[in-house]
Amino acid sequence: MEAELSFLAPFVYTFKAEVRSLVPLFQHLLSPFEVYHYYMPEFRFMSELWTAQYTGVKVSTLGSFLKALKEADDDTIYYHLYRNMFEYHFLPTDYWNSFSYWFAENGFPVLAEKFSALDLIECVCLADIREEMVRILEREGHSFDKICKPFYFIRAVRRTVDLGVVARDLNEFREGIKKVGIHSLFYHLVTSRLVHCSPVNDFSRWLMEIGEEKKAQEINRIDLISHSLYRLKDRILEILES
Amino acid sequence: MLEEYARYIDKGILRELESLARDLKGIKVLHVNSTKLGGGVAEILHRLVPLMNELGIECHWEVIRGDEEFFRVTKKIHNLLHMPEGKPLSHEDILTYLRYTFENLSHVDTDPYDVVVVHDPQPMGLVIKRKKGQRWIWRCHIDVSSPDEETWKFLETFVNSYDAAIFHIPEFVREGVRIPTFVIPPSIDPLHDKNRELEDGFIKSVLERFSIDPERPIVLQVSRFDRLKDPFGVMEAYRIVKRRLDCQLVLAGSFASDDPEGEEVYREVLEARGDDPDIHILNLPPDSHLEINALQRSATVVVHKPIREGFGLVVSEGMWKGKPVVGSNIGGVRRQVIHGVTGYLVSSTEGAAFRIKQLLVDEDLRRRLGESARERVRHSFLIIRHLKDYLMVFHTLLKGG
Repeated sequence: MEAELSFLAPFVYTFKAEVRSLVPLFQHLLSPFEVYHYYMPEFRFMSELWTAQYTGVKVSTLGSFLKALKEADDDTIYYHLYRNMFEYHFLPTDYWNSFSYWFAENGFPVLAEKFSALDLIECVCLADIREEMVRILEREGHSFDKICKPFYFIRAVRRTVDLGVVARDLNEFREGIKKVGIHSLFYHLVTSRLVHCSPVNDFSRWLMEIGEEKKAQEINRIDLISHSLYRLKDRILEILES
Repeated sequence: MLEEYARYIDKGILRELESLARDLKGIKVLHVNSTKLGGGVAEILHRLVPLMNELGIECHWEVIRGDEEFFRVTKKIHNLLHMPEGKPLSHEDILTYLRYTFENLSHVDTDPYDVVVVHDPQPMGLVIKRKKGQRWIWRCHIDVSSPDEETWKFLETFVNSYDAAIFHIPEFVREGVRIPTFVIPPSIDPLHDKNRELEDGFIKSVLERFSIDPERPIVLQVSRFDRLKDPFGVMEAYRIVKRRLDCQLVLAGSFASDDPEGEEVYREVLEARGDDPDIHILNLPPDSHLEINALQRSATVVVHKPIREGFGLVVSEGMWKGKPVVGSNIGGVRRQVIHGVTGYLVSSTEGAAFRIKQLLVDEDLRRRLGESARERVRHSFLIIRHLKDYLMVFHTLLKGG
């Protein structure tokens, strides 16, 4: 019986093993649609919550900033680079991260621009982006000893939470997107990619698994920087409904 | 009650909070401060405690006891931490503080709780009761970055006996705090009389009561009568603006009956007004929340131009009402106002006047900045975000970082 269902094998990797093992036993009681439904990979909507912890690292020169940047943990880099997107995504701010604001305020406009232009969406690994920042600082930085206003390094304390919303087909997925908030979108489109070091976001990966390649590609192509998370949600729903 | 907030926030947030709270189910939390009435801490606890209970976290609130003598000492400690210029703590002051702390050890039962949150310096000595397995958090609502050294030395031992501290902004953290330090800004409550929607008729009646012309532009600063709030600088900025543009200035605030300096500043402000009928100096009772709300809603531009400030939540109150704020480029004000996006940050009286003028003449700019200001508060300075931050700290301390 298991062999007869082998064509569904690519779809089952996320399915809970204990439930999956029961389906063949009752297959004769289920319609083909129901069998397919139970073998579809499920998508669990997660979300993330942040709070901020002061690392105790306070710097007042570009030189000490560079040193701290090299030594900071990933959650600290993550906080300063992604906080704007997480919290201020709906506002037309001048720069895309708090590093840039500090540079601008202290007379380093080129560094402010270059740091703000870092492509956070293409980035799949924080180590790479840290290296890039260090390279920019070493190449473009000057007046490393000039006394500036202090910069406080803050760490993101994050929790991933299961929202209890599960989708097994496109319809449920669409309804799920409607139910969850913008931080869930942020988690699946941004954080999860960094965690898995993947160029593909969670939504697109799952859509590909259920054979919705076109929708998957369209969602993966959306420019996350140019839209607020609310607009992104609408855009994703448009794609899913097309 | 949580449902009442749903219309103000992204709908996913309540689901996220419930999920986070499920992980914390069964824990018992105690908040301790020095008063149930008056002040920002009591105001926030009146709402936070029931909200935590609604999420299934058993949460209680206790107030320490003390007489006039004790609170005179704690007020002195508060001032010495916040503004170090002052008469230092005497041995008698320290003994008074310790005596009342000792008495409160038996008055406040902290034993049954998993998490004890102690607000501000008044009750902080209670930490000597800390039991194994408990998590104690010191929630500091003031700027202790440059305190009187002797006062800080006295309190430092208590501070570092806690499991964690929470400050409004990193700038307020004193070097020497060796425990994990979280950065959690305060918040406003959209359901409080200070912030809830008001009917136009009520707003008009308030303006009438204070003889303010609703048809002409209003520049407003809400703050207690205190030199640190720079009411004289605001008046000067208004006078610069008034040379070219028609407007009225409203300085609304209060001073406590036991605050002789406040009364003195109030008199000086009245004197500085001269015979300008367009400057309205309103000394309001401390519970005039609806009146302040109405004034903020009727303002054309909200100004907050202190020389030194704790956090300045009045900025968020103005922003919540869709007003662009011209604020001092300091401390908590600069954490709320995003320059050019939700208002303007200024470093001088002339700068303030320039920005006020810019806003008075450009309705579209006011609307744009005002809309962004409200959105900024909606995402970052409402009480639901504050609640989430507390739960995150509890989770981190109890379940690991």
